[in-house]
Amino acid sequence: MLNITIDGKQIEIAEGTTVLIAARAAGIEIPTLCDHPQLTPYGGCRLCLVEVDGMRTLQPSCTLPVMDNMVVRTDTEKTRDARKFILNMLFSERNHFCPYCQVSGGDCELQNAAYHEGMTHWLLQPNWKPYPVDASHPYLILEHNRCILCRRCVRACGELVGNFTLGFEDRGANSTLVADLGIPLGESSCIGCGTCVQVCPTGALIERWSAYQGRETEVEHHKTICVGCSLGCGIDVLTRDNRLTRIEGDWDAPVNSGVICEVGRFHPMGEDRERILTPLVRKNGSLKAATWDEALTIVAEQFKGKKGKASGFISTRLPIEALDIFHQIFKGLGANVTSLEEGMATKSSSQLAEEIKSPYEARMDSLTKADCVFVLGEDITKDHQVISFFVKRIIPNGCKVITLDSAANGLDNFAAISLKAKEGTETEVVNTLTTALKTDKADLSDISKLACINTDMLKTAIQILKSSKKIMVICGQTKVKKGSSGLLKAAYGMAKQIGAALIDVKGGANSLAASQYHLDEPINVEGTEFCFLALGDERPSQQLIKKFEKVTFLVVQSSYVSPLTANAQVVLPVQTWLEQEGTYLNSEGRLQKATSALQSADGVRSSLDVLTGLAEKSGIKINTNWKTRLTERVSPVTIE
Amino acid sequence: MTKPKVSSDWLAGCAGCHMSLLDIDERIVKLVELVDLRSTPITDLKHPDEGGVDVGILEGGINNTTNEEVAKMMRKRCKILVSLGDCAVFGGVPAMRNFFTIEESLRRAYVEAESNEPNSKIPTDPELCKPTLVRAVHEVVPVDVFVPGCPPDADIIFYVLSELAQGRIPDLKKDKLMWN
Repeated sequence: MLNITIDGKQIEIAEGTTVLIAARAAGIEIPTLCDHPQLTPYGGCRLCLVEVDGMRTLQPSCTLPVMDNMVVRTDTEKTRDARKFILNMLFSERNHFCPYCQVSGGDCELQNAAYHEGMTHWLLQPNWKPYPVDASHPYLILEHNRCILCRRCVRACGELVGNFTLGFEDRGANSTLVADLGIPLGESSCIGCGTCVQVCPTGALIERWSAYQGRETEVEHHKTICVGCSLGCGIDVLTRDNRLTRIEGDWDAPVNSGVICEVGRFHPMGEDRERILTPLVRKNGSLKAATWDEALTIVAEQFKGKKGKASGFISTRLPIEALDIFHQIFKGLGANVTSLEEGMATKSSSQLAEEIKSPYEARMDSLTKADCVFVLGEDITKDHQVISFFVKRIIPNGCKVITLDSAANGLDNFAAISLKAKEGTETEVVNTLTTALKTDKADLSDISKLACINTDMLKTAIQILKSSKKIMVICGQTKVKKGSSGLLKAAYGMAKQIGAALIDVKGGANSLAASQYHLDEPINVEGTEFCFLALGDERPSQQLIKKFEKVTFLVVQSSYVSPLTANAQVVLPVQTWLEQEGTYLNSEGRLQKATSALQSADGVRSSLDVLTGLAEKSGIKINTNWKTRLTERVSPVTIE
Repeated sequence: MTKPKVSSDWLAGCAGCHMSLLDIDERIVKLVELVDLRSTPITDLKHPDEGGVDVGILEGGINNTTNEEVAKMMRKRCKILVSLGDCAVFGGVPAMRNFFTIEESLRRAYVEAESNEPNSKIPTDPELCKPTLVRAVHEVVPVDVFVPGCPPDADIIFYVLSELAQGRIPDLKKDKLMWN
């Protein structure tokens, strides 16, 4: 521990801490612009200059390590003058006229810094050089005129997302933020996660959807979780007058520490489907508005009459509470019941857990220290993007990525080696690699022929795996052809052999919970006379729509109008993921609460209310202790 | 004690700051009790007294030779000069034309604009003032008090004027400091 005096305050702080962090710990606020708690210090803006006894010049506190018996002053005439001068220089560099800027009025860190210094005007006028505006991206606008060259976006893109799309070209006042090698952002390698916008201190990077929708002073914040995939990232939902204005990553969330992907940040913003606002019942061939009582009575009567010929299918985007009640209702009457995912992403992991009789998967945070990541059978840059950020961002630390699958993978460009196996042979490749790692003298020619992979590539992969100390195996099964369900088992075998940690990415938000409730069987509507389809707010795929075309009595619970609701006998309107609340079990076994960010219309109910209502009408007793039942089945991860 | 004399004028602005001044509503009666309002662009008297006034207020940036003259006259005839609003303080919206040449802006306004008659020309009458780079008032004459805002809130204007009327220099801080 080192002793340091900041503004007369004596504090003790660990070696390696910066003066800025030490000051914050002591409750002393030093103004900054380029600094961001999630990014490595850069020392670019010089706003955080402090006076240090014995040092000739002012020092940037964000990059200055604490030294023993250091005496620092943060608020002297010298530092105040320096700060004002720096702000004047920043304002004069480009177009920083506030009135027509998206972030003006509390959301701009540059403006706030000027207010903090009591600046009523600029000492230096701008140099009137126009800079371009890049509006080529579907989600973002890059306004170079507002850029202060702090490079927060560049660091976020590299350090947090690992994508390295953003960079700088040229020097001095000509420095320009560029995508890739200076091409329009919309044509670049940008994956549209929007992390750069979230860290931008000015209006240089703005979101198309949320721009001018409401400032910090006008919006409400709701911390909840994203239900886009099984990871369950923490998000901050901004609303104004019960309208969604923006979604940001929650910096305090244990799962994602602030980063979210395109699916979480932007997809919900483009929602334009028609909502269902009242229960609908088919009368004389067309759907007519009905009361909840009427609709649920019809459903319960039909359900009771079709014992044994009834079936229920539920979305894994719905909360655990709904999944559990759904299972109780339908299982109790001997109906065929499963989730819409059909266990495609979880069936083999649950079976493996039952075989091993204990959880075997590692947590996502073990990735931070990995020096080799082996990604099997899944393109994590598509359906589990944030996991791909976790992988991509450790590559600069020397981590080597190996991919094995049969199609193009978004990670291929980042991988040390990409093994492209013939479809259906992935499991054999993994098994052969495991043997090779065990015996040293495995014959690779057979598998090379079978999987159509060059022997040298297999050898390189083995070499990398052998020379790595902390290996992480990430396995997914949604992209693997049916019949190769042995992939996870093979991955488990390999992980065990080389002492690697294993992660199975699973599927939708409550994919794991669904399989814990045994909702992991294939969908079978053969001989079904009554079918209850419990959707949330998802867009049903063509395949799903086709599956239910011939069902005689179809009940669809859904938030939005779709071909499925058009084909139903009874339609029950439910809340969207932003309106409902409930619990989700993420792929690592974390139980997380989703809270409601928006209020739903009067006629719309939560899935839980709808299913509870149905149970009452059908005379089925419901046990609400979902937690006990959730852990009855051995799970692949420890549930907390 | 005699009431301090106040004059105002507008330059390259939109008159919005003067409208915001009128938004002080009934407090204007109180203000008139405190100050002697002399020339303003919205009253009959158009120039500040030759004998001088105590406070001169300018709205808008300086974008031509006439603006320069008006600003210089106001500076000469007032003791305390106030820059009122973002255009006077920073250049504001009119200053956006500085990103183009004057020739380009004139051509856009007088020739290319959709509302122009065919064959319209850029006016060249020698009696007309010459357009210049748009500048903040303090780039042309020294300014004593800066009141940013687009427009400054009526409450802020009232605060500034009442402070000046009572012989104090207003200090714009915290919620009174707004650039937008």
